[in-house]
Amino acid sequence: MLISENIHIGGTLIQSYKICSRQVWFEVHKIDQDQENDFIMMGRLIDRNSYQRDKKSIDFEGSKFDILRKEKGTLVVGEIKKSSHSIDAARLQLAHYLYELQKNGIEARGELLFPKEKKREEVLLSEELKTHLDQVYQEIIAISSLEAPPHAKKCKYCRNCAYNELCWS
Amino acid sequence: MGKTLYVLSSGELKRKENTIIIEGSEVRKFIPVETTDEMLIFGEVDLNKRFLEFCTANKVMLHFFNHYGYYQGTFYPREHMNSGAVILAQAKHCLDNCRRLLIAKKFVTGSIENMKKALQYYSRRGNIELDSIIEKLTVFSNYAKEQIGISELMGIEGNARDCYYTAFDLITGGGSFSMKKRSRRPPQNRINALISFLNSMCYVTTLAQIYKTHIDPRIGFLHETNFRRFSLNLDIAEIFKPIIVDRLIFSLLNKKEIQAKHFGAQSGGGIYLSEKGRPIVLKAWEERLNSTIEHPRLKRNVSYRSLIRMEAYKIEKHILHDEEYQPFAMRW
Repeated sequence: MLISENIHIGGTLIQSYKICSRQVWFEVHKIDQDQENDFIMMGRLIDRNSYQRDKKSIDFEGSKFDILRKEKGTLVVGEIKKSSHSIDAARLQLAHYLYELQKNGIEARGELLFPKEKKREEVLLSEELKTHLDQVYQEIIAISSLEAPPHAKKCKYCRNCAYNELCWS
Repeated sequence: MGKTLYVLSSGELKRKENTIIIEGSEVRKFIPVETTDEMLIFGEVDLNKRFLEFCTANKVMLHFFNHYGYYQGTFYPREHMNSGAVILAQAKHCLDNCRRLLIAKKFVTGSIENMKKALQYYSRRGNIELDSIIEKLTVFSNYAKEQIGISELMGIEGNARDCYYTAFDLITGGGSFSMKKRSRRPPQNRINALISFLNSMCYVTTLAQIYKTHIDPRIGFLHETNFRRFSLNLDIAEIFKPIIVDRLIFSLLNKKEIQAKHFGAQSGGGIYLSEKGRPIVLKAWEERLNSTIEHPRLKRNVSYRSLIRMEAYKIEKHILHDEEYQPFAMRW
């Protein structure tokens, strides 16, 4: 399928890449998740009801930062997650934000926030992470240019995935 | 998934802050908008643009029916699951005769398979001799597979359905619900009125489920896109009519929940389900849609209503060259 516009790689795409390549294909083709999925609805609620004193949902180059604040002169980008179930994907997503900021001459550090678990984790952009991200960008572009979505494969994320009715109907 | 609301009373339907409110001369009812998916409106209600905007914002679909319970139209809120890739793929499959036929045939054969399942169920249960009709349906199904034109395919679908309808009097025992033959616009007798009423319920239910997916209800494969506003819902409903509509009719009649007194004569000729009969049928219809079966691939219970949505997902996957469409087949 033809996509004439260059795809913009946003944070969610990075996070999806870590979870399932089929999800990446769907997202690039604007095939959105089932918005009535219980977990999606819960995520929306958690996002709306936590960290209400902070600045929320800041648009930056096609990405959306959940939280942006300044601490002792450095910029902190916060990413809120429902659970630490897919923490690797969340780490990479946040690293991608930091990388994008750096490309624009802004240094920042990241913080992963799990309000329900009362947990947070710091994420710093390393050279290693940057090389990894460059690789991931290439692979996402490769998946996007496939004619058809990659075949559905059962994995541990399927159970709670908002695409599961589409994949397994 | 949100609820379906059936509005049988008359009055005013409006937005009150962030809630839907129905106000009649005696009743005042609040309906939370977040948990409402669609409203089927039978009563004489007044509503305004502010209310329609509210429905759009909350993706609530409104289906309107006239005094006789005939479908008049749908307020279909703005599309919210937009995917250019899916729309183009769907149009491509519609314009290409080979691809279109492939999908259209599956609707016909899938529908006939489910008609057979419905008949087999009653031949087992009621010890009714339906084998010859079932055999004929198999012939129609095979014949459908060989067709190279959509209109011929539609013709076979019609013939198969006529043949299938001959079983109705055998299953229901005829009497005051004898069908003789299928008649529409307007239905000439009670069972025809019941079939027409429930078929239109099936069409709007399917429409509301398609709305939750990325495919476009205006582009059909078996039913011609040109003739009406929505056509894909008619295609997908073919699969479910024998399973949901027809079996519900048999059950309503055999249990005598619906009787001759629940029907009235129309001023212009024809018979319709009366205002007394409507709530009985709608309640049973809603219960049937919400009843569940175990889904073999999802490994959990899903309602018939969800099964309809999943049928739309299967079409979506087919046109994206992901997985070939296999119509839902009732197992028993």
